[in-house]
Amino acid sequence: MAETQPPTDEELDAWIRARLRLIGVDLDQLPETDDPVTGSPTREQALASLRRFLRGTVPAVSGWRPADDPALQQQTMPPVLYPAPHSAWTQSDGGGR
Amino acid sequence: MTEQLTRRFFVARSVALATATTLAPGVLPRWAGDGTATATTTPEVAVRSAAVADPTELTVAEAAALIRRRRLTSEELVRACLRRIEEFDDIYLAFNTVLAEQAIRDARRRDRQSPRGPLHGVPLAMKDLFYTEGVRTTANSFIFEDFVPPYTATAVQHLVADGGILLGKTQMGPLATSRATLPNGELTTVNAWTPLDVTVYPGGSSTGSATAVAGRLAPGSTGTQTGGSITSPSNAQNLTGLKPTHGRVSAYGVIPLTYTRDHPGPIARDVLDAALLLQCMAGEDPNDPRTQGLPPLPDLVRAATPVRRSGRVDARRRTRIGVLPGYLDARPDIVDARRTLLDTLDRIRGLRVVEVDPPDEWELLSDAFNNVRLSERTEPFRPYLTQDLQLFGVSVLNWLRGLFMSADEWITGQRAKLTLLSRLLDGVFDECDVVLQTSPVPLDIVGLPEIGFPIGFGGDPTVPIGAILGGPPYEEDRLVEVVAAYQAVTDWHHRRPADPPTDTAARTRMSHARVAHRLTATEAARLGQ
Repeated sequence: MAETQPPTDEELDAWIRARLRLIGVDLDQLPETDDPVTGSPTREQALASLRRFLRGTVPAVSGWRPADDPALQQQTMPPVLYPAPHSAWTQSDGGGR
Repeated sequence: MTEQLTRRFFVARSVALATATTLAPGVLPRWAGDGTATATTTPEVAVRSAAVADPTELTVAEAAALIRRRRLTSEELVRACLRRIEEFDDIYLAFNTVLAEQAIRDARRRDRQSPRGPLHGVPLAMKDLFYTEGVRTTANSFIFEDFVPPYTATAVQHLVADGGILLGKTQMGPLATSRATLPNGELTTVNAWTPLDVTVYPGGSSTGSATAVAGRLAPGSTGTQTGGSITSPSNAQNLTGLKPTHGRVSAYGVIPLTYTRDHPGPIARDVLDAALLLQCMAGEDPNDPRTQGLPPLPDLVRAATPVRRSGRVDARRRTRIGVLPGYLDARPDIVDARRTLLDTLDRIRGLRVVEVDPPDEWELLSDAFNNVRLSERTEPFRPYLTQDLQLFGVSVLNWLRGLFMSADEWITGQRAKLTLLSRLLDGVFDECDVVLQTSPVPLDIVGLPEIGFPIGFGGDPTVPIGAILGGPPYEEDRLVEVVAAYQAVTDWHHRRPADPPTDTAARTRMSHARVAHRLTATEAARLGQ
């Protein structure tokens, strides 16, 4: 398999803007320069922040698996929205330890 | 949006906005999981002489005891708090809204009644994201700057039903991120221990709730935590904050930050107050499914009552206190405070300090995976994101980030939560009963209970140093027992900051400093992750 090249800033910016347009979020509502009245970041600051997020958090989360074996990992750790309540809801004696 | 609109409610804060609907006491019964009504234990405490002399020094439990014994009226206590608010809150900026006339009216009514609950007649401050019927609830944001909720949050109803009086709404990080600022990032609330230095961290996002209690403007308050927003301001301001297990306290009527991690809880001056307030706030709520089917709340007031045998303090139960690697890797004064804490705990009969190993992938699961919540932050705010990004002010970046995690990645995050919980329960909590932490985040991610409490002072300028103890699900009582024993042999929790200077020059310097220091959007994103 050919090595995947990481996306450039320009590619990420294009994708960010397209994604936002698809769901009706207008990045151009943000100012071009600092705006002390609202404290809003500039458009470029927002794009830079989103690029950092896409290059940092997203791959870290996306690449993680609860076990090494690609088949067996599917069988472990199903998603749980509320871990602490889940621990009580699944106790036969009504919860707690 | 005009500057005038921006500042309307935040700078010209409204003392005596008493046109609002009065909260009716006793309106909401609480039900245990088995359908039976729950009772709240009322603590009978001895009242310190310093507190008798100055009602604003009273803890919640002390104040309630004096009112029950007819040695103090609720009105006297409310008026004493209002006097301090009038005198000092232009420096502290702890409150957004002070309900002076309403609180006095409620206090007079309480004084005519026989005691109706363990908080009878005690004024409390509410973080300004708890819905309060008829009273503006802003979350220090542009989005909610004119929002007047049609009902009161369940947790606040519980406090009022147990006799509490709503004194006002406290400043917070915009939409519950960062330390308290105006929506545009301009710093507001200060640390009560350094009232003239706005740059000293006061903790967030429940900043005003902590400053109000530390500065003796209110005996107790509420906060919410979705990362560290109860334990952090408690540690920063020499207070005791109890973040309960997820679901213990209803989040119905709380402006959401993250559905799966929002934890309402108390911020107090000592562990007994934290236990008492949590006991009142907690309970099953038909409007919040997260609160249903959970273990019954232990008797937290009993847990917060220290056990004394033969003139010495004992642990209520044998408890192993885990210490993770790196706990003593910190600034020298913090290390000294932590060493003293460990020695003190180890000397209490029944407590034992033990070293424990962190779970596998501890850093990854509690760092990068902390950001999985950003999608949940974004989703309930989608209408505002499409309306106007500037409504989010300084906080917009993390709301935008939440749009860029795919659904499959979010699912991976939920699998990671169960992994982290399993490793904690099978690993860390196999080796110990409670664990000292350097960050509240890992246990917060999986909804486990935590308590922040004071352990000393240090730094330049000198500020409080705190500790965070965490435990297994629904074992708040174990945390409370340990801190009750610790506070019975230490006096950090009795120490109060000096009053701010009242001269005009100091106030002028403060107002200039606030304008000069503001959070940028990038800083707000980092602090609010």
